[in-house]
Amino acid sequence: MNGRKQWELQVSEAELSSMTRDLDEAHRETIPTMYAKAGEFAEQIAEQNGTPRSLARRRFLLGAGAAGAALALAACGSGGSTNTGSAPASTGGSSAAPASKYTGDFKVVALATALENQAIAAYTAALSAASAGKLGAVPPAVGTFAKTAMAQHADHAKAWNAVLSSAGKPTISGVPLSGQPAVQQALGSVKTVGDVAKLALQLENQAAQTYLFAEFNVASPGGISTAASIAPVEAMHAAVLQFVLGQYPVPDNFLATDMAANPSQLTV
Amino acid sequence: MGDEHLDTRLLNELTVQSQDLNSDAVRITHDALGEFAEQQEERTAKRGWSPLAMIAGLVGAGTVLGATQASAATASNDIMALQTAASIENLAVSVYTTAAGLPFIKTGNKTVAAFIAKTTMQHTAHAQAFNAAITKAGGKVQNAPDPKYAAVVKSALPTIKGPADVVKLAITLEDVAAQTYTKNVSEVSDPALRKLFGSVAPVEAQHRSVLLAVQALLAGGGASLIAIPTDAAKLPAAAGSVGFPASFYPTSSASPVSEGAVK
Repeated sequence: MNGRKQWELQVSEAELSSMTRDLDEAHRETIPTMYAKAGEFAEQIAEQNGTPRSLARRRFLLGAGAAGAALALAACGSGGSTNTGSAPASTGGSSAAPASKYTGDFKVVALATALENQAIAAYTAALSAASAGKLGAVPPAVGTFAKTAMAQHADHAKAWNAVLSSAGKPTISGVPLSGQPAVQQALGSVKTVGDVAKLALQLENQAAQTYLFAEFNVASPGGISTAASIAPVEAMHAAVLQFVLGQYPVPDNFLATDMAANPSQLTV
Repeated sequence: MGDEHLDTRLLNELTVQSQDLNSDAVRITHDALGEFAEQQEERTAKRGWSPLAMIAGLVGAGTVLGATQASAATASNDIMALQTAASIENLAVSVYTTAAGLPFIKTGNKTVAAFIAKTTMQHTAHAQAFNAAITKAGGKVQNAPDPKYAAVVKSALPTIKGPADVVKLAITLEDVAAQTYTKNVSEVSDPALRKLFGSVAPVEAQHRSVLLAVQALLAGGGASLIAIPTDAAKLPAAAGSVGFPASFYPTSSASPVSEGAVK
């Protein structure tokens, strides 16, 4: 707030927020298109597994609603859990299952959902720490960034979980990743906004690169287009974080995949 | 004079960073192009069979011909997509190069000038990658700008009066590039090309993200905050989200694959 006193906007914050609102409306317009693509993806992979496309479509529409509930659980951030369809009962956990419930494209979808949940959990924990005053003074722009990025990750997770439920696969409501304990440990030791931003940058880069990896390793056209539409958004999050950290926001000519998560990191 | 004003320290740092950080990305792009070349060789080998099949006129010739034609059409679409991508990159390079020479850029915000210089290099690298893929696919390289957006630029240039106008035009081009490549990922037939388009689209999206933030700061009189490092504490709250307006990158304004194809 002190910073605001030192810098007077020539347009009001309300006008700037209005610009953001216009963009937010544009964002809302993209969601129906993306859900259509994700639904198409659900039908394609369900068909590969012998499930009728019409059934997969119905399940997808139901799953898109149920996925919202799963996201609330994701914010808890611990371990990993899977929900069978829309039922609340959870199975699995952070320990490796004897045989994964997810194979082929489903494994990549499950990995994507887990990564999105990981980001949601990290931003939730960071915002909670900020509210408790554990991070010192939090710049207003950083708070807005965390809330908006978290909401977008929730949209991504919802889309992926709807694909899983449409195929009769358990949705993912936690973070069933072998690397999650390390992330939680890192989150527990953050002291400043900069510490949080560095950790978030790692997660955003990992997500963007994992989606790039998925684009040329997933077989379903719907899955490819869904991954392709999310990767740039994660990269945009990373650009803003780089800027906040005092680094150049677009350091690479091409997105790499060296930080991409491996499907073997999935523990369910 | 303009050179003196450019933040050469930042630019030098960026160049060194770029060399380090891009090594993996460049390797990936090279890998993608190598895989693409192999796919093209396989296609060419298959195409070599088609005249024999036609001459023979034996059972199944029609099927072979149909499959060959479909494969050739797919390959043709891939080449057109690459040519259109190269044409968008060529236009971006041209626009940023022109912008760098404008008096209010040369003597204006150093970080904006450094961004323009770095972004020009990145678009040049993209154009080279797309043209390299075209060559490997046996197509004609595209050195001309995208005709549709060249016209947009031509009509916009006389109206440019300050940095905000440049930023607005650049946002349009970066968004078209990002949308086009995002769509191309699921339209091209070859996984190696998916990798190539998929590795460039996020970078264009990042350019747009930066430009959206710069646009908001210029509109808000916060030009002094357009700096690396910036004073994050002084950034207005809305600046934290203005750079990424959608959960899913749209493709409704993507250029069709034929838009910048070599005629």
